[in-house]
Amino acid sequence: MFGDLERTPRTLLVCDRSSFLDEKNRLSSQVEQLHFNYKVSMLLPECSSAPSHLEAVLNSFNSFYLIRKLPIHELLDKHFLETSVHQGLVSGLSYRTRIDEDNCVALMPNGHLSLSLDKDSFELLGVEGKLSKFNQRTNSRYVVSVDLTDSSLAPGGRGYQRLVTGLRSRLQLKTDFLLSHHPGGGASLQALLSRCDWSEHRPEVRSHALTDLFCPLLTSDLQSCDPHHLLEWLGAVDADVSCENSSSSFLSSLVCPEPKTTMSRALSVSVCGLLSPQDVHRLIQQIRCYLDQPRLESWASLTVHGFVDSPVSWGGDEHGVLRGGENFYSLLMFHDHTYHLHLGTGAHDTCPP
Amino acid sequence: MRRADTKNEPAVYRRVVLKNASPYHYMKICLVLEDESTRLSAVDLKQFIITGLNSLYGEVGAALTFDLLKYDEDSLTALLRVYSRGLVKLWSSLTLLGSYQNQTCAFRVLQVSPFLLALTGNSRELQLD
Repeated sequence: MFGDLERTPRTLLVCDRSSFLDEKNRLSSQVEQLHFNYKVSMLLPECSSAPSHLEAVLNSFNSFYLIRKLPIHELLDKHFLETSVHQGLVSGLSYRTRIDEDNCVALMPNGHLSLSLDKDSFELLGVEGKLSKFNQRTNSRYVVSVDLTDSSLAPGGRGYQRLVTGLRSRLQLKTDFLLSHHPGGGASLQALLSRCDWSEHRPEVRSHALTDLFCPLLTSDLQSCDPHHLLEWLGAVDADVSCENSSSSFLSSLVCPEPKTTMSRALSVSVCGLLSPQDVHRLIQQIRCYLDQPRLESWASLTVHGFVDSPVSWGGDEHGVLRGGENFYSLLMFHDHTYHLHLGTGAHDTCPP
Repeated sequence: MRRADTKNEPAVYRRVVLKNASPYHYMKICLVLEDESTRLSAVDLKQFIITGLNSLYGEVGAALTFDLLKYDEDSLTALLRVYSRGLVKLWSSLTLLGSYQNQTCAFRVLQVSPFLLALTGNSRELQLD
């Protein structure tokens, strides 16, 4: 009788195990494909303050712009397309729009513009699109995906005119927008920014020192720690949840996965904002340098969270929120250059790369 | 018998895809009460949720084990952990719990995920103003 009640939406967890020394390792491409990163958190065991080179990388993360009420047709402005989009220098995402309720927009570095629209907005826009995987039964959400670098959308052409007219006159789509540019691409944005209400923001860095905590015994062969228990422990450390509960406790029975050891101290550092995959990549290289030096603990962990409300996830595939919009990955690095990468995503999202 | 080659072997690449394999689901909830100054302790909250399970699913339903991982008394927000097969029962009991000690109340479910790690990185909390 309760069979249906025990079902939950599909979730996927991909566990990759490889080494940085292996030429065929795909970590760079996996990191690059998650364009819109919200939070990066790092856990360094037996460490009380961030080493200077790591702090320098964190403070050098690119800043991003918040544009209030950006008319989306501005992203199709001829000058903006030629100087920024076609060069692959910008990317952006609508801010404070919920993908299960509102219209959301994403501009990827490769020039693809993805609009996730409700039924009325889609019909008003009048451009070809597909039914979203996330609302198939109710037919209430549509995805319009256009390649702004394609010749069919060259400024002046019919396809381009139709899209611009749709966004400017018929739908008049305006959302708050987060815009980020590659280093050196800042100048090309000035023309667009001069027409809008904008502010620049730096990613917020927070660090938190932890003392006397239980930690699972993490070795590079990782035979002993089940990936779900490991991710639960990492989540507990990040959320400041106690893992020291007795089995008779009324409130909680969460414990650290066995076999476990104790750590006298650890450092948890997090960065929030619109973060680019290139910055994440630089941070990974610096953590590898940090692990190269001889030290007490031989691992470090890095978790990267994608945006819940982004219309696209890995590699431009559609993303949505059914009950949870998780798209994140967690990288556990060891000093012998091996790593364990766990990529998690939710219902209807395609399998991470 | 020849000894095995002791040269360092190239690193092994392994990829495992786990589908629906998470044993637990995690919920971030917030209790909204008619009288905003009411305070509950963690034990009170857990007991209250158990009474909700009881009223909807009976004694067997109330035996569903869930953990109150973290609780903030000031904002009345909590992190819960429940077995995946019990998620729907717990969530439906929270939805239908309507009164606490004669005042109306409501549970707001802020986020649900099979990964506790995903609950710590919710981009809907990004505040830039």
